[in-house]
Amino acid sequence: MATVTIRPESTHGRVVPAFLVIGWGWIARNPAAAVAPILLPFIFLYFLRIIAPASLFPLEVIGAMLFTTQNIGSWVLGDSATWRIECALQDLFVASPMSKLRYLLGIAVSNLIAAAPALVVLSVVLAYELPTPPPWYAWGVLVGVIGVLWVLFSAVGVAISSRVRSQREIWPVGNLTFTCLGMLSPLYYPLAVLPPLWQDVARFFPATYAALLLQGVFGVSPAPPLELAADSGLLVLSAVVGIAIALRLYRWRGG
Amino acid sequence: MRSEPALPTLPPALFRGLGAFFATELRVQLHERMAIVTSITVQVVLLIFVRILAPGLWSVALFGAVIFSFFTLGQRVLNEAAYIRVDHRLNQLYLASPLTPESYFLGLSLGVLVAYLLPIGVLVAVAVVTVPAPAILWVALPFLALAVFAFSASIGYIVSTQFRDMRAIWSYASLLYNFFGVLPPVFYPVGDVPSAVRVPVLLLPPSGASALLQSFLGTAHLTGGEVALTTLALAVESVGALVLAMIWARRTVQEA
Repeated sequence: MATVTIRPESTHGRVVPAFLVIGWGWIARNPAAAVAPILLPFIFLYFLRIIAPASLFPLEVIGAMLFTTQNIGSWVLGDSATWRIECALQDLFVASPMSKLRYLLGIAVSNLIAAAPALVVLSVVLAYELPTPPPWYAWGVLVGVIGVLWVLFSAVGVAISSRVRSQREIWPVGNLTFTCLGMLSPLYYPLAVLPPLWQDVARFFPATYAALLLQGVFGVSPAPPLELAADSGLLVLSAVVGIAIALRLYRWRGG
Repeated sequence: MRSEPALPTLPPALFRGLGAFFATELRVQLHERMAIVTSITVQVVLLIFVRILAPGLWSVALFGAVIFSFFTLGQRVLNEAAYIRVDHRLNQLYLASPLTPESYFLGLSLGVLVAYLLPIGVLVAVAVVTVPAPAILWVALPFLALAVFAFSASIGYIVSTQFRDMRAIWSYASLLYNFFGVLPPVFYPVGDVPSAVRVPVLLLPPSGASALLQSFLGTAHLTGGEVALTTLALAVESVGALVLAMIWARRTVQEA
């Protein structure tokens, strides 16, 4: 009788390419799915362009980029909860060689595809609207900040998804959580214009440091290098704490 | 053998089952407390923007939020009708019953409307407290809001019959309702739009209703002709859409 040998590398699977295919397949089948999720930040931007001083527009474009990145968490929540509740796929994922961290990475990559066009368009708008050219490293900082928020909010989304009990809860829970997080942080307005209590509360959210850092680096709200370094440190620290809490809350088995 | 004479078919037969569908939908919706609470999220966000960045537009934005809330109830009708048909597959059961498709559409819409009145009531209460509005505005508001709702719910129901996949619904519905609800001057003064698009803006139900409220508030100047055009358009669009949706509901039964 022949013996079947499983090669060690095959037990790792190819999580990221597989989820990339899933993400692209969804967009290819439903073009509106690529437009609708990114629509809200643009709608806010359009509204703010009308009601707010024009000088704030570059700041608002940066805010729209961060809000779009943050919304990836809401889409991760939606996908993960739908696969678990409606498609009953969670047991399959748990039984597979894929760990919960690789699942998180995969589903985050899958949803980054939907956000990527918006981030590119907003980058072009930002480059066009900036009053002075930013330093060479500003775009690198932007990519890094978006990367940190992408991982953080994907972890938050996947954690909440494991606690959602019905299909009908998914949209309202995601909408409430991520919109509140977006509004409490000064993404679309300067931190200084908020009431003092709100400013204090905002300091607990990683997106606040992301916004302050980018506003400083791009010269929208100039800040001394030491302050920018502090914002970077606090962004990374709060993101690490947020990811740790999210992974602790996430129910991989038996959710 | 004697047979009972057939009962005359009166207009009320068209709405047989309306009460049952309304009560069922209301009960279903009231279980979705989180959805009811979060139904005014976008409105609150835009109001926060206005409060922080342009407090002078508070009254316009607040009444715009009320109109927008009634407009987006159409999205709830769309979602719910599609959910019942695609996910629960209850349509076949309803269609086989002696209850009418017209009453199904109306009952569903009214159930959604009543369930979501509470968060809208909060916005109205804030308006009562913070905006000194003239009496004519308070008289006109319910009519304008119901006209916008009738239009929006009818379009939502018609669009819902075109979907086969629940995951696609959110994307398209969000596009439709946010595009027509936020981009036109619902939350900002109608005077801010270029004169070239002023007439189309007045013809759109949410921005038309909002423009009328702004004229009552004194934050927008509409000519007598514009007031007449907007009022007439709103009446024709809401009644027309309602009739179309009922015809559509009947047609989908015949095609089934």
